[in-house]
Amino acid sequence: MIVERPNMRERKPDLLQGTLDLLILKALAAGPLHGWAISRRIQQMSRETLTATQGSLYPALYRLEDRGWVSGAEGEAGGRRIRIYRLTAAGRRQLADEIESWRVFAAAINHVITAP
Amino acid sequence: MEWLRRECRRLVLLVRRDGAERAMRDEFDYHLTCEIEEHLRRGLTPDEARRRAAIEFGNVEAMKELARDARGTRPAEDLLRDLRYAARVLRANPGYTIASVLTFALGIGAAAAIFSVVYGVLLRPLPYGAPDRLAAVWERNVLTSRDRNVVSIENFEAWRDRAHSFAAMAAVVPTSFTIAGDTPERAVGAEITAGYFRMLGVAPALGREFDPAEERHGLAIVLSDGLWRRRFGGDPGVVGRSLTISGQRYLVVAVMPPWFDPPRFGWLGEQQAWFPFVGTSQKHAWGRFLLVIGRLRDGVTLAQARAEMIAVAAGRERETPSNRNWSAVVFPLAEQISGEAGPALLALLAAVALLLGMAVTNVAMLTLSSMRRRDHEFAVRRAIGASEGRLFRQVLSQSLLVASMATAIGLLAAPAAVRLLRPILPPDLPRAADIRVDAPVLAVSILAAALAALVFGTVAARRGAQGGGGSPLLHTAGGTRASARASGMALVTAEVALALALAVLATLMIRSLAGLKALDLGFDPGGVAIARVALPGDAYPTPDTWVAFFDRFLDRARAVPGVSAAGVISTRPFGGQGPATSVSDPLSPAPPGSAPIVADVRYVDAAALDALRIPLLAGQAFDGRDRPGGPVRALISADLARLLWPGGAVGHRLSVAMHDGITPEVIGVVGSVHLADARTPTGPVVYLADGRFPSSMRDVVVRADAAPASIVPALRSALAGIDATLPLYAVNTMPRVVDLSLASDRFTTVMLSAFGAVSLLLVAVGVFGVFAEDVSRRRKEIGIRLALGARMSTVVRLIVAGAMRRAAAGVAIGAAAALLFARAMAALLFGVAPFDLPSFAMATASVVAVALVATVIPTVQAIRRSPLSALREG
Repeated sequence: MIVERPNMRERKPDLLQGTLDLLILKALAAGPLHGWAISRRIQQMSRETLTATQGSLYPALYRLEDRGWVSGAEGEAGGRRIRIYRLTAAGRRQLADEIESWRVFAAAINHVITAP
Repeated sequence: MEWLRRECRRLVLLVRRDGAERAMRDEFDYHLTCEIEEHLRRGLTPDEARRRAAIEFGNVEAMKELARDARGTRPAEDLLRDLRYAARVLRANPGYTIASVLTFALGIGAAAAIFSVVYGVLLRPLPYGAPDRLAAVWERNVLTSRDRNVVSIENFEAWRDRAHSFAAMAAVVPTSFTIAGDTPERAVGAEITAGYFRMLGVAPALGREFDPAEERHGLAIVLSDGLWRRRFGGDPGVVGRSLTISGQRYLVVAVMPPWFDPPRFGWLGEQQAWFPFVGTSQKHAWGRFLLVIGRLRDGVTLAQARAEMIAVAAGRERETPSNRNWSAVVFPLAEQISGEAGPALLALLAAVALLLGMAVTNVAMLTLSSMRRRDHEFAVRRAIGASEGRLFRQVLSQSLLVASMATAIGLLAAPAAVRLLRPILPPDLPRAADIRVDAPVLAVSILAAALAALVFGTVAARRGAQGGGGSPLLHTAGGTRASARASGMALVTAEVALALALAVLATLMIRSLAGLKALDLGFDPGGVAIARVALPGDAYPTPDTWVAFFDRFLDRARAVPGVSAAGVISTRPFGGQGPATSVSDPLSPAPPGSAPIVADVRYVDAAALDALRIPLLAGQAFDGRDRPGGPVRALISADLARLLWPGGAVGHRLSVAMHDGITPEVIGVVGSVHLADARTPTGPVVYLADGRFPSSMRDVVVRADAAPASIVPALRSALAGIDATLPLYAVNTMPRVVDLSLASDRFTTVMLSAFGAVSLLLVAVGVFGVFAEDVSRRRKEIGIRLALGARMSTVVRLIVAGAMRRAAAGVAIGAAAALLFARAMAALLFGVAPFDLPSFAMATASVVAVALVATVIPTVQAIRRSPLSALREG
């Protein structure tokens, strides 16, 4: 049976493309978390400014897992068996890279908007 | 390696797909629960909290789809789903499935079997160390441009010492010997110069190579694994023992490993043992007779070696008068060994490729008509939103499933096919032991199968993807779509073209073989038994003893009941190369620098010519005057007589370069004989009298009134009655020898004919299928025509004419292709031109006849039904 699936591009991204990866990796840098906790952590870290909705969080998580930057394993939270994600060594390197390129990017944008 | 780890992760996910789905569901549920709890904490009512969370979460199923995409396993999952679906479709259509799987399996199995022969004989590296560095080195006669001439001892030694292109060079020459024992046995082997095995990169399984002292006196032997096991029961203690061979004691120094298959080419045949080659003065007198193999030095190309050898040979030419007009030439050893088998095997490979093409076409036809029955289904799918690409991939995966099953069956059957093939392989096929279905053969076969599957899969899948174009749901009940018909008809054209090309190749070979069989060989093989006798030097030291022995033996042979003639000849017809020499008329010598007449030389007695029924055309045959020390007289072949003395040769003196230059009187002219084999044309031959030039080794030819094989026991006992230690060897009958010489042609013909027959069957089935389908879909149209008063014959003619137009296009394409193939295999054909009109006509007639019958039968069947029922049902 063939199911036509929604096209990713038709959805409005909640965050700048690629930024979400950085946020997730950063959220996991402090220690393993499950999905909902990651979204909460992102919210807290951004002082309630940024929200990773479920619709973008889980695809992003699975994609990062496919790339080998995070790894998910069966764990427990609140008395339920649930997937807990942790940062891999490759993910840690990737996080450093992403932070670096974000700094360059942010500085550039900053130059642009402060230009006379 | 990151990508590999990634694919492994995907594979794990794929295998644990259900677990991943469950984890995702749990994760999403838990996420929602947490959101609701969060909202409750903020003071919302439970209902409101649940509502808000659900809104924020959005469409869970759509979310899941996005998440699944992100997992990276989507393409594989789609493929799995498609394959499962394809499996269901195939199970539901067993007729289609069995027919297409078997057809494709036939094509792949046949292709794999033939390719295993081609690979084993032509492509598999020779079983020696670094085999691509080995080369055969020959002398080359510049005047006759006779390439690949055997080499003299002096030239071999000079080459070995001077040519820097070669890291090693060794010579080898066949020999035969008698092992003494309770049952004396005549065996064949080879004499080899120092370092021969080392140069080949092989080492004995037991023992060592010859030492320098043995190289000098020659009294040592290396046994083949076969001889060692057969004659010595595989006893390792035989190494170091002495054997009595041809009257002398030989030390067994080694046994070769079982897999060792020595290079065989030129006049090198089977080898059961090896001896050191000792260059005695007698052997020096033989002139050119060595086969030379060299190992190219690292980094030296074949072209460089050739250039250097020409220079080295030029040096030899300046040094010695006997090397005038002689150069040297180098060929890769693999090509040297298998080269002659190449054209026939490549023709078979081309034929089997055509057959595979036909199998592919038939499966495409079957698939198309099975798809046509599913038009409605495809239209519905298109209508509810399946994309073209998706449908394409789905039909393709169905074809791939068919192809995989068929390939598995075909390749499993391939070893059995090779076993069936082995007994009918021509006995002179080089490297037959290297034929087997193994990894390289399987790899290439699978690749070919994948390509073939892609071809028919794409044809079908394009059709499937288009399924439901236009206003599909309305049409599918019985409409005829032009594009669908067009692809079916194009397949008919392709099928006829492929079948015609195959049929032409088969017919050409059949006619060529018939020509070879009908050829007048110049002698009459029927009723002739042949054998060889070699007298050991210790018991038979002088020419007188040889003459006495053969006189006694032939007398006894003639006394055997049923024997009408018995004689001796140095090398019987179809018995390999004998000596050759340049000849001329001493009264009008050829101008210097012009190509001399090179004639084969045979030593015979009058009885041998009688036994072989080589006719005396003029003059007289040898008689009692031809004794050692008597006058030197010669018979010449009609070809030579025509060249030198068209007006009559008898009475002239002939100048013969051999025997240090003799000028025998020509006493008679005999008929021309195909000496080497049927393909080789007759040529100049000088027959010298065996009585004048006796030898310790002769072929015995005996003509019997009965079946020639039946007198062999009597010949054996006649020999045993004279000397029980002498074996009668190379025993055979001339009809069998002639028959064997055609083995390669017969093999090619049988195989091509079989492929041709299968191709006609495939045409019949394929065309029948397409037209049965076509006519049944046009029943309504036909019904209307008939109802409006068209005559049945007119309608049949209409449909058949359409088919024949397709067939005609196929014939044109097929004939063009056949011409290309036939020109490439011209070397295989005897007495038949590649564009032989009768062959093309016969092939075309048979293919068109089959196609015609396969069209008319379903058409008539369909029309026979009442036009009214067609209209009602249609």
